Amino acid sequence: MADRNTATGPGQPDDGGAAQVLVDLHDVTRTVLLADDEELHILRGVTLRISAGDHLAIVGRSGCGKSTLLNLLGLLDVPTSGSLDFFGRPVGSMSSNARARLRGATVGFVFQQFNLLPGRTALENVAMPLLYAKGRDFWRRNELAMDMLDRVGLASRAGTAQHMLSGGEQQRVAIARALVRRPRLILADEPTGALDVATGQSVMELLEGVAEESGAALVTITHDPNVASRARTQYALQEGALGPAVQLAQVGA
Amino acid sequence: MSGFISALVEAWSELRIHKTRILLALVGVAVSVAALASVVGVGQLARESMQANSERQGGREATLGIIGPGGGSGADRLDAAYDALVARYGITYSTRVAMASGAFQFPGGVRNVEINVVDPAYGVVHRVDTTQGGWFAGDDGGRLAPAVVVNEAFYNAAGRPDLTTDPVVGFRGDWATPTVMVGVVADQYPGAGPMAYMLTEGARTTGLATAGGMPVQYKLWVPPENAEELRMAMMADLQAALPGMGVEVYRSDYAAYGDPFAQVQLAIGGIAVLVLLLGAIGLLNISMVTVRYRVREIGIRRSFGATSGRIFAGVLMESVVATTVAGALGVMVAIAVVKNPFIEENIAPGLTDYPAFPLEAALLGMGAAVLVGALAGAIPALVAIRVKVIDAIRF
Repeated sequence: MADRNTATGPGQPDDGGAAQVLVDLHDVTRTVLLADDEELHILRGVTLRISAGDHLAIVGRSGCGKSTLLNLLGLLDVPTSGSLDFFGRPVGSMSSNARARLRGATVGFVFQQFNLLPGRTALENVAMPLLYAKGRDFWRRNELAMDMLDRVGLASRAGTAQHMLSGGEQQRVAIARALVRRPRLILADEPTGALDVATGQSVMELLEGVAEESGAALVTITHDPNVASRARTQYALQEGALGPAVQLAQVGA
Repeated sequence: MSGFISALVEAWSELRIHKTRILLALVGVAVSVAALASVVGVGQLARESMQANSERQGGREATLGIIGPGGGSGADRLDAAYDALVARYGITYSTRVAMASGAFQFPGGVRNVEINVVDPAYGVVHRVDTTQGGWFAGDDGGRLAPAVVVNEAFYNAAGRPDLTTDPVVGFRGDWATPTVMVGVVADQYPGAGPMAYMLTEGARTTGLATAGGMPVQYKLWVPPENAEELRMAMMADLQAALPGMGVEVYRSDYAAYGDPFAQVQLAIGGIAVLVLLLGAIGLLNISMVTVRYRVREIGIRRSFGATSGRIFAGVLMESVVATTVAGALGVMVAIAVVKNPFIEENIAPGLTDYPAFPLEAALLGMGAAVLVGALAGAIPALVAIRVKVIDAIRF
């Protein structure tokens, strides 16, 4: 089990209130009931705290529970037991709609398969999350989406349909989409899994750069040690249990 | 506010992206709505035509008829009693109707003509439409050369003169009198013989006697809601004024025993509902398939903050927006069908002025389109919100 507060990076002490705690998991388990009434324990006693500006990676083999943990962090799922606080609010007592609104306003997802909406242009895909925003963000959605595409270097491809973009371009559009509502937490599930090494590296550089600029926490789930090593903090997930953290950045320093 | 606009924007975007699928679904709905609105519109036209024919025969809805003995002093007393009734009850439209016949001098010779002796209000009560000229005016009764409104057969026999020149046709009654044609009406049926309407005063001027002492009928157009009460009251008044005289007050209009067109309308409505149901099933089928196809997309939207309510509204709105557009197209097609001259002439041969496309048919078509959209959208929308986000993203 990971130590609490281990995800705080250098220069961001966990005590003293300098960095806001975004997500706080304590002794979280996630269990599903199989068809033969047998319980499958996907996560076992996971404890993790993520603060603003953190950059951490969670590595593990396929089926070890990485995606389930990501779903919990992104409010797509709720724990079977243990506590999960999101911005200091217990998630267990929130309705699914309240979680959806909070998720939309604070979390940005980057998926392995990009998951862009088929048939839409790059601009429409990036503007999509702003359809669920209110006020100025909603009315200025195309302008904001264009700005974000510009930040990922795809302003000239704004009107290009999703299927006409290369894999690297699609992932950059996905990154722009994840960031367009200025999320506090970016969750990337195997963001380079469908890309070649060079493209994957440039995508990671972009993701890290944009996350750092916006001060968002970046959580990368990967089975690629090269991608994991880019994070300041690494966790290993084995058979549902989160392993001890390695403070790479501090070690490096 | 932005939530509703955003749902509309999303729905429109979906329609644009899935235009082929939407077009397929819309064709079915547009055809259904066009069929529904056309059936209702044509039915209304047919009903209007039947009603016009019925009103020409028996008078407008809630026309009371009074019939008594023909000829003699009894007839004069009844005539006076009728005048008293009209004054007492403040009847706006009432008329005498008597059948007679007389000889007219046409360019081709003298011909015997059926003559309806009436008052000016007959035109309103019996919904007489003129094809040329006009119906009698209030002062036509004072003409020395009595005015006549004639049918096409009469007009043809008279050589189809220009009515603005006050064409004269000689009436050969007890004494020769010139009559002036002021209007022409359509023949009641193909091959009809010459017929003329003449005012009661004109009939007196020409010395025309009603045929063989045939009784004069009196027609009074009364408010439908009070028709029965007025009938009873007038009957009582006439019996009191004319003791011992066999006088009867009766409903002469088509609606005397209820709405005769209700059955026709019910049958038309049934057909229309069946047509619409078929369209709705087609749309529902396509919508269900589409939602299953779009599970992943729904999952992606939910992962970016779409609530289940927004997903429901989006899918529902998409269906409603689509069917509303289809409904508008369907109604346009229906208007083109119903207002087609070929359809009008064949469905409503008795009408000279065709009514506008019925507003209720247009509203029914649009309402049905929206309703079908909502119903056909609600089921897939319910399916969409039951999708688990985690499973949907991996779908």
